[in-house]
Amino acid sequence: MPQPVVELDDLHVTLGRREILHGISCRLGVSGSGRAIGLLGPNGAGKSTLIRTLLGFHTPSRGRARVLGFDCHKNRRRVLERIGYMPETDSFVASMTGVEFLRVMGSLSGLPAEIALEKAHETLFHVGLGEARYRTLGTYSLGMRQLARLAQAIVHGPELVILDEPTNGLDPAARRRMLELIRQMKSEHGMSVIVCSHLLADVEQVCDEVMILRDGLMIHHADLEAERRENRRFVELEVEGDSTGFAAALDELGAACVREPGGRFRIVLPLDFELRQLWKLAAEHGLSVRRLTQRRDTLEEIFMKAMGLLRQTPGEAASNREEMAPEQR
Amino acid sequence: MAVYKRGYQRYEGPRAPHAERLLVLPREAWRRLTAQRIVTALLALSCIWPLLCALFIYIANHAELWAGLDRGFSRLLAIDETFILTFMKVQSVFSVLLAALAGPGLISPDLGNQGLALYFSRPISRLEYVLAKMAALVWLLSLVTWLPGLVLFVMQASMAEAGWALAHWRLGAGLVLGFWLWVALVALVALASSAWVRWRLIAGAVVLGFFFVLPGIGVLVNAIFRVAWGSLINPLQAAYGVWCALLGAEMPAGLSLLTGLVSLALMGTLLSLALERKLRPVEVVR
Repeated sequence: MPQPVVELDDLHVTLGRREILHGISCRLGVSGSGRAIGLLGPNGAGKSTLIRTLLGFHTPSRGRARVLGFDCHKNRRRVLERIGYMPETDSFVASMTGVEFLRVMGSLSGLPAEIALEKAHETLFHVGLGEARYRTLGTYSLGMRQLARLAQAIVHGPELVILDEPTNGLDPAARRRMLELIRQMKSEHGMSVIVCSHLLADVEQVCDEVMILRDGLMIHHADLEAERRENRRFVELEVEGDSTGFAAALDELGAACVREPGGRFRIVLPLDFELRQLWKLAAEHGLSVRRLTQRRDTLEEIFMKAMGLLRQTPGEAASNREEMAPEQR
Repeated sequence: MAVYKRGYQRYEGPRAPHAERLLVLPREAWRRLTAQRIVTALLALSCIWPLLCALFIYIANHAELWAGLDRGFSRLLAIDETFILTFMKVQSVFSVLLAALAGPGLISPDLGNQGLALYFSRPISRLEYVLAKMAALVWLLSLVTWLPGLVLFVMQASMAEAGWALAHWRLGAGLVLGFWLWVALVALVALASSAWVRWRLIAGAVVLGFFFVLPGIGVLVNAIFRVAWGSLINPLQAAYGVWCALLGAEMPAGLSLLTGLVSLALMGTLLSLALERKLRPVEVVR
């Protein structure tokens, strides 16, 4: 069985007299696979508490949390040797230059002294702070400090990088750069990444898996990669012309469809069906295609449904209609 | 290949041993300390008294230099517990001044911009962090306290007649042990002040206040309430009592080794608790 990146087993965390996490059990990611896990939830859902528990800052009151096979509380040092953490808050040491900061952080994580300096330079160039590496961190702009925080999280080449709100407060260009760096971390360097963010679009762009928390409980766990593959079969089509025989023709080709007013069709394509067949079929029936979109559930829709703000996602709605289709047609 | 052409490569080689990693913090703290010119200047200034003491020892051990002087003068030149106590008193003042200047810059820069989360998300514990920071300050204070003291003791032992060191071993041991206790207390005060007070100037003033104002408060408490426990908050009196006991010197009235040790232990515990309370990776709102 592949080793999960994070394994939670009935995890309860109490701060003071208040229980924040109420028994979360799940397995997230696969160690060494270079996957990104999104951690979502409204304010107060317990995301930060969960991250801090993984880092050993909080002790579980019941249950356990394991990271890369090691217990976060009992084997804290072993866990932290393998982790890089970028906190949400603006954390830095103002009097240090970029290079000093990264050298110290890298050395503390176990880089030998001569390697630490080399990696500090290398990482600063990688994140785009090469020219500013001899400036003190106190003189950096917010975006630069954000990049410096990312750099310190990856300088020692961790197996898992935990990013807490990595794009908070960044301008669009810096945000794009940050997301690109996260993508590179997982695809080119094989790091597992946990991204905790409020920005669903960011999570959707870089994550392969999401876990949604609410009130200290896990309410949804989705494999976005699998859902993307699945959803590629959903097509929304809008045609102009007499489409009476079109639905039957689609049916003959094995594509289930639901006809909607205004020449709109929701179609579930069979696995071996190619889109050009659809264009050809429309042409044969004298229809002009006004719109063709491969519809998939967005992360926002999945999130809204998990939060109870949406009864079902469009993808689920299409599936349900597919089941009802014979009576409707 | 130039570093900017190489690109980022994830490091997968062997890691440094844990002890080696921990040395990074004291080295970094030492760099911060010595970057302050005023600290270096005070460090140089604090070497004057040990040099004068060395000269004194030289003169005391060369009878030909004062052969023509009064016989009673020889008593003044004795290298005994009074000489050591005087040396310790002067150097302890310098150690407090150094701690007041150097101490505030140790923890507050890390705390000021919430940098502690970055340290504690690495494989070091809070205790290791404090000990590592303390090590730099302890080393600095050692340079003006027990290290020159030990040099003076060795110097005297080498110049005096054979058997002096054995006969006066208590002076050497008392000096080193007494200064160790003192240095530990001063370092704890400086670290706690650095952790709790963000502004360096005020943090330095707090350190000075601890050693020079608190004793006054202790005396006031004793006088106003007609009690004796006010002495427990007098670090100078407590340390002096312990030093006298360790060196075998005459104990001033109202002091005892036990009271001194209890007082120092109490202060040490409270300061450690203050550090423990403040040095957390994240603030938890309960």
